[in-house]
Amino acid sequence: MNTRQNDPEQERRTIHLKVNDKDYALAIGDTVGAVAPSDTLAHTLRETLGLTGTKISCDQGSCGACTVIMNGKSILSCMTLTIECDGARIITIEGLADPATGQLHPLQQAFVDNSAFQCGFCTPGILMSTKALVDQNPHPTRDAIQHALSGHFCRCISHYEVVDAVCQATTTEGDHD
Amino acid sequence: MQPFQHQAATSVADTIAILSTHKGRAKLMAGGTDLLGILKTRATVAYPKVVVNIKSIAGLDKIQSDGQGLSLGALTRLADIVDSEVIRDAYPILAEAAASVAMPQIRNVGTIGGNLAQETRCWYFRYPHSIGGRIMCKRKGEAACLAVKGDNRYHAIFGGKKCFAVCPSDMAVALAALDAEIQISGAKGQRSVAVTGFYHPLGNVLETDEMITGIKVPRPAPNNRQVFIKHRVRDAIDFATVSVGLVVSMDAKTVADVRVVLGAVASGPYRATDAEAALVGRKLDPAVIEKAAEASVAGAVPLSGNAYKVDITKTLVRQALQI
Amino acid sequence: MTNGYRYIGKDTARKDARDIVTGKARFFDDIKIPGMLYGKVKRSPHAHANITRIDTDRARCMPGVRAVLTHTDIPRWEWGMPKHIPILDSKVRFVGDAVALVAADTPDIAEAALDLINVEYEPLPAVYDVEAAMQIDTSPIYAQFAHNTYPDEPPSFEPEMLGHIRIGDVQKGFDEADFTIEDTCGYEIFPNPLPPEPPGFIATWETPDCLTVYTPSQSIAQVRLIGIPFIGMADIRAISTQCGGSYGTKNANLTPMGYAAVLAKATGKPVKVYFTKEEHFHSYSLRLGSRVRARVGIKKDGTLSAISGVWMVNTGSGSESGPLQIAVGLGEVQLVLRCANWDLKGKLVCTNRSPSGIVRGYGGQELESSILPIIGRAMEKAGINPVDFFKKNSVKPGNGYFWREGKWWTYRGIDFNTAIDKGAATFGWKEKWKGWGKPTAIHGNKRIGVGVGVHSNADVGEDSSEATVKLTADGRAVVYCCVSEAGLGQRSSLCKMAAEVLDLPLERVTLSPPDTQLNPFELGLVGSRGTYAVGSAVIAAAEDARKKLLEIAAHRFKSTADQLETENGKIYMVGRPDKKLAWHRIMGVYHSVTGEGRFEPDYSLCNFLMTFVEVEVDTETGQVVLTRMVNATDAGQVIAPKVLEGQLHGAFGSAGLDTALFEETVLDETSGRMLNGNMVDYKWRTFADLPDVKNVILETPMPSHRFKAVGVGEIATSPGPSAVLMAVYNAIGTRIASYPVTATKILNALGKR
Repeated sequence: MNTRQNDPEQERRTIHLKVNDKDYALAIGDTVGAVAPSDTLAHTLRETLGLTGTKISCDQGSCGACTVIMNGKSILSCMTLTIECDGARIITIEGLADPATGQLHPLQQAFVDNSAFQCGFCTPGILMSTKALVDQNPHPTRDAIQHALSGHFCRCISHYEVVDAVCQATTTEGDHD
Repeated sequence: MQPFQHQAATSVADTIAILSTHKGRAKLMAGGTDLLGILKTRATVAYPKVVVNIKSIAGLDKIQSDGQGLSLGALTRLADIVDSEVIRDAYPILAEAAASVAMPQIRNVGTIGGNLAQETRCWYFRYPHSIGGRIMCKRKGEAACLAVKGDNRYHAIFGGKKCFAVCPSDMAVALAALDAEIQISGAKGQRSVAVTGFYHPLGNVLETDEMITGIKVPRPAPNNRQVFIKHRVRDAIDFATVSVGLVVSMDAKTVADVRVVLGAVASGPYRATDAEAALVGRKLDPAVIEKAAEASVAGAVPLSGNAYKVDITKTLVRQALQI
Repeated sequence: MTNGYRYIGKDTARKDARDIVTGKARFFDDIKIPGMLYGKVKRSPHAHANITRIDTDRARCMPGVRAVLTHTDIPRWEWGMPKHIPILDSKVRFVGDAVALVAADTPDIAEAALDLINVEYEPLPAVYDVEAAMQIDTSPIYAQFAHNTYPDEPPSFEPEMLGHIRIGDVQKGFDEADFTIEDTCGYEIFPNPLPPEPPGFIATWETPDCLTVYTPSQSIAQVRLIGIPFIGMADIRAISTQCGGSYGTKNANLTPMGYAAVLAKATGKPVKVYFTKEEHFHSYSLRLGSRVRARVGIKKDGTLSAISGVWMVNTGSGSESGPLQIAVGLGEVQLVLRCANWDLKGKLVCTNRSPSGIVRGYGGQELESSILPIIGRAMEKAGINPVDFFKKNSVKPGNGYFWREGKWWTYRGIDFNTAIDKGAATFGWKEKWKGWGKPTAIHGNKRIGVGVGVHSNADVGEDSSEATVKLTADGRAVVYCCVSEAGLGQRSSLCKMAAEVLDLPLERVTLSPPDTQLNPFELGLVGSRGTYAVGSAVIAAAEDARKKLLEIAAHRFKSTADQLETENGKIYMVGRPDKKLAWHRIMGVYHSVTGEGRFEPDYSLCNFLMTFVEVEVDTETGQVVLTRMVNATDAGQVIAPKVLEGQLHGAFGSAGLDTALFEETVLDETSGRMLNGNMVDYKWRTFADLPDVKNVILETPMPSHRFKAVGVGEIATSPGPSAVLMAVYNAIGTRIASYPVTATKILNALGKR
């Protein structure tokens, strides 16, 4: 926008993200389609890359809706500047199912089987935190699941079904990747 | 978010040069979970011209330990503190405090430097600009503190005078209990400040051209016991209503040395020296514990709505000593 | 459980489940219309003030700004009940009220332009307390409402709306009473139901007389129904996106629609207004404030002999549906407090708090949470156990009550006492109940207490619904019914009902998009009406379509329709399942068969929920923790078991039970500002704080529709708050008569401070 102070050095910069195994080169700057320095990763994923499965709810880092996995860790994409993500590997909700077959990840299937959502707005974020958890700890206890998800706001109260679903997905045989 | 320029710092010296150039109009960004919140709500008048990424500084996220003590780079992530075997083994209070912060996603990016330098959570201070304009107050350089006559349930019971906002940092409490020092670099050189001396009623001692580079924690006496208790409404996300950090070492059956530090009751971690005095040289029997718990709140002057913090403080101190 | 049904009562994946878990579901912010502009709102710093001057010149000149509107630029369209809430006005009525609107090419430009609008105000005295507001005789908040009290006039659609319960002779009732209690209790913390997705509207004028809106809605048809009178009787086509939570708040709050509509008119472009979470907190729907001053007469055997008093309802700065919420609340309270003599009057009052609106529990939760603590004192006087009291005094078949439209109805459903007994046994009430003001147990500094609350609602058959079902030659069915998905699973449940009637595989039954242009009349998923009211229309339409299809088939089979069956899109004669004809052979590939169904209001059935709670009070820190909850209900027939379980778990959230523990909106009365309008300071239940929960759901067939079911999900939030107050009293032996039970209140009650 017009009030932005231009920095010629920045305008020429390009950053590289790997999102759901796909490489993206994004120009930094304030031209249309470029990433502005103040753009959050949540904004870039949704508005620039069209990956609208990542949700923004509070936009203040207090509700977990925008959670994605970056370099193996769950993070809040609304509190992350895209410009600082150069070289990052990011997984969003769109990257969870098998890209070739469309087969749901066992966690996704367990959420479907357990009706582990009501309105579903918080579900993508919850699934990403859950994925980050089971990647570290393939057989978490209920307590570990609850604490891994402790930053997720679910106002419908699907907490019980979610914990059941994660337990189901992690106690049956199957690949959690 | 309103626009800003962005620079990635390559070293501490580079960071200080950027800070010096912009004279208070540059803000450092590590985990960013506190800074971006304030930039989004525009709760403060000053909006940075430049945001400086310091995560790009190599080597500032190390956890190192030797016979003298522990050294933490300012960029050490809270999650790494929780997981560090060295810390869990010899400085467990730090792991416990770090584990109590916010939520996993924030601990994954939040740094110890950022945790120490975070802004207060005073709800008058943080009021969003988009809803009729920000609330001005002493901390922002003008107008009186609305909390004194308003809803001050989360405010200070010690000190204040100008501003009754409390320091929200859990790490500050644990570090103060370990008698840690904060290492600061700036245009004028380097300095060290005790954690208890880092804060003042309107913020902290960092100059606009300074940054936290690390933390030095002296190795506590052998056979010491460390306790961190955080009281809050919910078991996640919440900042402390009151917290207590206790490091005590025993000499046979009596207390040889003790530090009792309270959190969320003052503008910084509050060292309850009266409680410490009530403990040193004594056995930790119920009467002594009770006396120390009472002494921990000596001099507290609660506001209209936060006297309950006095009760909670006493309870936490008692619980910490009983563990 | 084998009920002989193919889908009813069985867990089937929700139709939208895959979209939700893959991120494909399209919520409001995922929708883009070409050429769309972004609207932002300049908001008031004052709780009550006249606007003396607005300077918009600088904002209008900013590049990328397409429109700046103030109250002088737009028509005076009003909405609310009664109609009184303008889009913009020459005054502001709460901190965060709209002063001016901007449309711009990007949200950032629009937001930056707001800073360039200069406004001068003449502050007026602000009032936040319901009784103080009624005392004010000069400068009321709305000029037309003297003493800040809304008029008693009922709206056009409900000429005899219930505003005052008058039954029997209360003086006689008090004379007959063994004990009389007089008390005041408030539920006045204005909690925010706070769906995760903030509210928003995209508005675009297709013609000067027709507005299309996209919004995440719980009841999309209501947007058209009440939106048309709001925007000067222009036509509205309302389309719902997937809705990220509502809990009542996204039924009928037209505030953002007004902004988007006038900005779209001014710019000739589609305009999107999507509230930030801050705006969602400060300037959207809060739960009504409720204060009851009542006198209660009770006999030794627990019979209520008289209830009189006044119910003062604080709408904040605007009433979305206040009179109807009073009407429903007064109806509901009679279902849980049978009493021969009543004189309880509702009073609707505005103040300078943020506006209130429709919230799950709709009047009843507010009234019960205020009156049941007073009734509790009466129960204690009479020495009656609250579970026995509610068994005695909750609605039974043959009992009568006034419902919201002022008519007397007689309950013709089932007795809920079996559910109460089962719930009590599951909870262990008998063992845990030690008497009024007596803890269940004391463990050191922890005191355990139990309590119970109830809610019952005769809105399961409220208002009208219409549906059509189209059978296509390829053996599929489309249900046309204007129902959006806000998390209730009802779009899937309605498909199950149609699939059951038509004996079709569930995947071959779909529901039309939630678009008012495509569907017949529907009121929406308000109250608890989805299962019985909407379900009845869908079942009737499916039955009608089936009948028409079989009548056509009868010619082919040379039989009568009632000798035929259809299964999986094929028709056969009863007893001859080997000879099947596919639907296309019957109707021909160029045809479809459509059935119609309609539901007329029926207030003679109720749902019911009792919530048992156990709390643990820390006498040293004043902290109260909910340790156990049992919900007991009888749903007649469960349609979707896991969906219902989930909704009952919802008891905590959306301004429900947790409003007794830690949820509240904190107001700074000096500045009129809401202090905790953020998701750290506004407390909500996290995954780390889950008590032990059990739902006891009985299935005693209810004389509703073909599947004998009534809806119950909505009311999950309602019994909890008063149950918690009761449990805390029993734990500590001192009554706390306000919400929530903060540490300060507990420590004060314990005499620690």
